Amino acid sequence: MKAVFIIYNKAVSEQILYILDKLSIKAFTLWETVYGQGNEGEPRMGTHTWPEENSAILTIVNNNQLPDLQKALKFLDEANKEVGIRAFVWDAEYLF
Amino acid sequence: MKIYEAAVKKPITTLMVFIAVIVVGVYSLSQLAIDYFPEIEFPTITILTTYPGANSENIEQNITKPIEEQVSALNNLKKITSRSSDNISIVTAEFNYGTNLDEAANDIRNVLDRVVPLLPSGVDRPTILKFSTSQMPILFYAVTANKNYEGISKILEEKVINQLNRINGVASVMTIGTPKRTIYVEFDPLALNNYGITFDQIAQIVKAENLNLPIGSVKTNDLEYKISLQGEFQSADQIKNTVLTFQNGKTIRIKDIATVTDTLKDRSIIERINSGKGLRLLVMKQSGSNTVKVANKVKAEMEKILPTLPSDVKIEPIFDTSRNILTSIRNLSETILFALLFVSIVVIFFLGRWRPSLIVLAVIPISLMSGLVYLYASNNSLNIITLSAISIAIGMVVDDAIVVLENIIKHIERGSTRREAAIYGTNEVWVAVIATTVVIVAVFMPLTLLTGFTGALFNSFGWIISITIVVSTIAAISFTPMLSSQILKSYAYQKEKRKITLWDKTIGKALNQLDEFYKNSISFVLRHKISTLIVAILIFVFSVSLMKFIGADFLPQSDQSMISAKITLQTGIKVEKTEETMKKLEQILHERYPNEVVAHAISAGASDEASFISAFSANASNVIQLMVRFKDLDHRSRSVFSIGNDLRSVLDSMPEVIKYDITYQAAMGGMGSNNIDVKIFSFNLDQSMVYAKQLAEKIKNIEGAKEVLISQESDKPEIKIFLKQEKMAQMGLNSAMVGAALRNYLTGFTASKLKEEGKEYDIVFRLNNEIRHNIELFKNITIRNMQGNKVFLSDIADLRELSSPPVIEHENKQRMIKISVKPQGRSLNEVATDIEKTIAQTTVPQHTDVVVGGAYQDQQESFRDLALLMLVASLLVYLTMAAQFESFTMPIIIMIAIPFAFSGVFIALFITGISFSVNSLLGAFMLIGIAVKNSIILVDFTNLLRDRGMKLFDALVEAGRSRLRPILMTALTTILGMLPLALSTGEGSEQWAPIGISVIGGLIFTTVLTLIIVPVLYYILIRSGSRRLRKKFQSEFSLLDEVLPK
Repeated sequence: MKAVFIIYNKAVSEQILYILDKLSIKAFTLWETVYGQGNEGEPRMGTHTWPEENSAILTIVNNNQLPDLQKALKFLDEANKEVGIRAFVWDAEYLF
Repeated sequence: MKIYEAAVKKPITTLMVFIAVIVVGVYSLSQLAIDYFPEIEFPTITILTTYPGANSENIEQNITKPIEEQVSALNNLKKITSRSSDNISIVTAEFNYGTNLDEAANDIRNVLDRVVPLLPSGVDRPTILKFSTSQMPILFYAVTANKNYEGISKILEEKVINQLNRINGVASVMTIGTPKRTIYVEFDPLALNNYGITFDQIAQIVKAENLNLPIGSVKTNDLEYKISLQGEFQSADQIKNTVLTFQNGKTIRIKDIATVTDTLKDRSIIERINSGKGLRLLVMKQSGSNTVKVANKVKAEMEKILPTLPSDVKIEPIFDTSRNILTSIRNLSETILFALLFVSIVVIFFLGRWRPSLIVLAVIPISLMSGLVYLYASNNSLNIITLSAISIAIGMVVDDAIVVLENIIKHIERGSTRREAAIYGTNEVWVAVIATTVVIVAVFMPLTLLTGFTGALFNSFGWIISITIVVSTIAAISFTPMLSSQILKSYAYQKEKRKITLWDKTIGKALNQLDEFYKNSISFVLRHKISTLIVAILIFVFSVSLMKFIGADFLPQSDQSMISAKITLQTGIKVEKTEETMKKLEQILHERYPNEVVAHAISAGASDEASFISAFSANASNVIQLMVRFKDLDHRSRSVFSIGNDLRSVLDSMPEVIKYDITYQAAMGGMGSNNIDVKIFSFNLDQSMVYAKQLAEKIKNIEGAKEVLISQESDKPEIKIFLKQEKMAQMGLNSAMVGAALRNYLTGFTASKLKEEGKEYDIVFRLNNEIRHNIELFKNITIRNMQGNKVFLSDIADLRELSSPPVIEHENKQRMIKISVKPQGRSLNEVATDIEKTIAQTTVPQHTDVVVGGAYQDQQESFRDLALLMLVASLLVYLTMAAQFESFTMPIIIMIAIPFAFSGVFIALFITGISFSVNSLLGAFMLIGIAVKNSIILVDFTNLLRDRGMKLFDALVEAGRSRLRPILMTALTTILGMLPLALSTGEGSEQWAPIGISVIGGLIFTTVLTLIIVPVLYYILIRSGSRRLRKKFQSEFSLLDEVLPK
């Protein structure tokens, strides 16, 4: 089981959810609005200066689901670098 | 859920909401009344009181004064004016704008109840009219007839007037110059004396004979018979044979001592239509009803009536107010369509693709329709002010949609789907879009607070712009994203982006080059900031100095294919003499303007009936009223102004013409006038008349002062009878008896009526012509005293020939003589200033006040109102800006665009030679909003780039480069939207062309200068930005620095 944390521009929200749906990833946690900035690209601060906003998703997936998710997210990110999608993954276990 | 998200997710609901707006808008459009101006009449009530036989001074002292005293105590009264002339007193009370006319009328009725008992007996009860005497009838018909001329009055009354009066909205229908059948019984005074019969006796006999009386009934076995006496005269002949008395075995009949003529009433008014006998039919509308609607109904009814009239009776419209209104509105509507076209072209030009262009343009109908809905809901009309507002709004309503759309497209090009882009793209800009709208509304809302005349004119203007802009913003953040999510193309997952089109290769490329050029220019001016600033200031100073070459008028004059003239001949001449001049004038019209004149009506004389007509038309035997209708502007080569000037030169060369007054408007009554009135207030009329004449002579020498008229005419000769009280008492007479007897002799009295076919005709008794036209004979007339003895008038009275003023005018209870001046070739305020100088040079007599007023006063008041308003608006803009940018200096940088907008207006007016009027001022006013908007875009984006870390210099250059297109687009849509307005030449265009010209001039100028001066001023004024502010805050964390690595 892997925990995947995806941060993406709100403007691709529907496409991210579409990917999760197609990959039968049913469980996830969504923060609709999150702010932040990366090492490159524009900050997403929801202010007048930096008006764009991000959303974040935390989802725990089976190991076999991971390659498909990675492939899809990468495709979306590379479609336009300005949009900026970041995903991080680490091991996860059931607590109970 | 945010509004834009809801709109995108529920496209059908959104579509339905906006379609509903359009449907309601179209419905409103179909229901809207059409008028020339918004309703701007001040609530006015006219009190008309007649006292037959009294001269102007009597009327003034006995009627006008008591009424004025009481009425002047009423609430909300703005001004009270009066005209006391022979037989008639007209008191006009003008109330403050917004006063309820019905309540005011009730108040006046109450007041009159107190006054009436104080008035002399014989005064008719005052009539209250809910409109001003300066309000003109909406339709003039010329009525001509040959065979039926003598019976025309009956025909008109039965078949025309009654029908028209029934129409809703028609206040009254009047005829001027109707011949009236009257039976005159004219006595020879000598014969009367010989037979020892008095007038009164004859009257009583005639009354006693001319009688039908029910007697009662007789019942027989089966039936009941009504019995009635039939004594009424059947014809005029019967009157002749009425037996008066028996003397010396002889029957004395009326025909023995009098001549009986069944004829037309003596003409005191001469009315000529198209060089022939005729009369005028006037239709007045009720105050508050719509001119076009009422006129249409009247015309439709007239169409039905015409076939029922005898074939020789012709009724043709000579002047139709609604026609001018409709032509003007049609012309203006055309310019709106052109504006729509131009704006569409600009949008397509800049966006280069049809889908985005369509999305942006869709906002226009929605916003404009909301403006129409407002008009309908607020009971306003489609008029040149509201239509100009709509025309101006067209260019402004697309701006917000463009901003939103551009951001949506940015996201689509980055790979978002159109739905996501629509929602999140809007999310990023919607606050900024609303903020700019707030500024625009801050500029236009104060217009809605204006009161008085200017307020009436511009309130609806302010509302329409504000409402359409607000609705356009709402549409931009709901309808625009919805439509984008439906019809834009998504590029997601497509490797190749948008196709390179022809537009990209041509216009797109050119625009890119323009961007680069502008970028280089900014770098250049920023490096020469001080010299740029100096040049800009010099340009501003230069443009302000042009101001003294630009005249100022109140409202521009319009060519309405109409000339009215009031021509005064020598006081006291007979109406028959005046008629000769009338015929001469008719000939002149035919000879000089054969291709232009359509119809003309000309009248002279005073009605002796002291009725409404006397309040509205020519009111002296020496005054000619001329009304000429010309062909439509498109079908004639000369303007009415040129014809008017020509007519002036003709009138100048006619020795019998004392003075004349030519006006080009019949529709607007008082409001279209462009006169300067010099009012001389003094009780001593003789003294102020002398002064007025002196002053008028001096004013005539002022350049541009034409048609200098003194309101007071020269005194007219009058014979006054001074009774000798003692002699009279000895002879057993009193003043009332003498007065009544003399009045009956001269004016005659209506002893009875002749009934024929349900109509009644007056039977008037009076002395015969010989006496009535000979003063010497009149002096020797005899009056019967109480004992029945003859007394010669010359024994009990002195007859002296004196003169008296024909009219006495008051304003606010003070006697006033008015000198009116028509500026020509020079503007209103130039001439007015010279007049004021001239007055200062003269010695004003004691107890006399001289005030310069008229349109000049209105203009000054309006300009002052608008100037004050501009200050308020500027202050509001500053406040909103300061709050928005959290800075005191930013608003100053932004508002620097305003003075340059005015520079542009001055230069445009100077080049086109148009004078400053309320309308061009309004154009200038609108510029504040548009000019400010452009500089906001620039300053805001500079701030943004600096916040993102750019250096000041780079931020300014980059902001300029990237905001050039939106600024040009806003400016171009507005400029091109106004272009048809500025260039239109149709009827009525004189009114709105100045608005267009000032906006275009100002906007071109301010756009170019904003793009240069705003960055320069920013560079000079703003050294510290938010980054410096952040450093200041960070200095408070210095303790932390000790533990942090250096």
